[in-house]
Amino acid sequence: MSPDELVEKLNTIKSSLTQFEQLLNNRIYLSCESENCFEINKFLFQELKARFVIATAIDCEQYFEILYHYSYDQTGCVINLKCFIRDHENPQVESITPLIPAAEWIEREMHDLEGIEFNNHPCMERLILADDWPEGEYPLRKDWNHEKEI
Amino acid sequence: MNWKIWSLKKSPWVFHVNTGACNNCDIEVVNCLTPKFDVERFGVTLVGSPRHADALLVTGVVTAQAAPRLIQAYQQATKPCVVFSIGACACGTGIFHTGYHVVGPVDKIIKEIDPNAIIAYVPGCPPKPEAMISGIVKTLNAL
Repeated sequence: MSPDELVEKLNTIKSSLTQFEQLLNNRIYLSCESENCFEINKFLFQELKARFVIATAIDCEQYFEILYHYSYDQTGCVINLKCFIRDHENPQVESITPLIPAAEWIEREMHDLEGIEFNNHPCMERLILADDWPEGEYPLRKDWNHEKEI
Repeated sequence: MNWKIWSLKKSPWVFHVNTGACNNCDIEVVNCLTPKFDVERFGVTLVGSPRHADALLVTGVVTAQAAPRLIQAYQQATKPCVVFSIGACACGTGIFHTGYHVVGPVDKIIKEIDPNAIIAYVPGCPPKPEAMISGIVKTLNAL
């Protein structure tokens, strides 16, 4: 698939995106709301056959962002999907692990550090925090007090 | 001289404890044992269990998960036991000082259970193998 065909194919899901941006030939930025997140990931992974690189979560104080990074290796194009979770009190999103098993550990890590719930995750257990770390303390959240003794 | 100290200085067996290091110091510790630096010619040899060790080479800030393990390794080591804090993190937590998971540095954790522990510091990020050899020689001469 040529770079133009890739953009054309991405245009078919434009209705579920909130933003579509191509700043460079090999960088495409997509944004979506958390409800459409799973469908778009499914499209990128199964229809487009893009390679899942990693996901990252950011606490933006009013909302959470999850960035899914995909690479389309045929043309070397990197696709970044930015998924907004508007509910800061109770952040929830559909897990992509049933679709992409490689995402299991990064979702567990995001759950540990940012407290994002991943629905339908097959094994949501603690991954990187200490065994005696208290429940409900998420150290990478912006409002977490770093002076606190744990 | 105490015969225990005499035998320790003759051939200190070391056990390597990683308490949350980034692996950089660990690579340099292994480097010490390779033919170029070859600390084995001074009788320093790496052993697989703290029960066989006269010295602990501790690398890394002590994380909340690793602290009980470090205490356990120290308690199992034969006394007198020299604790070497290898690297900036082990000596004083370094750049990870405000990290949420940091409970160290090494001397704080060791002194909680044994106030008279012998602790040697080898700073550096990572310390050169020459620095580690120098640290070991200086410590053994000071005993």
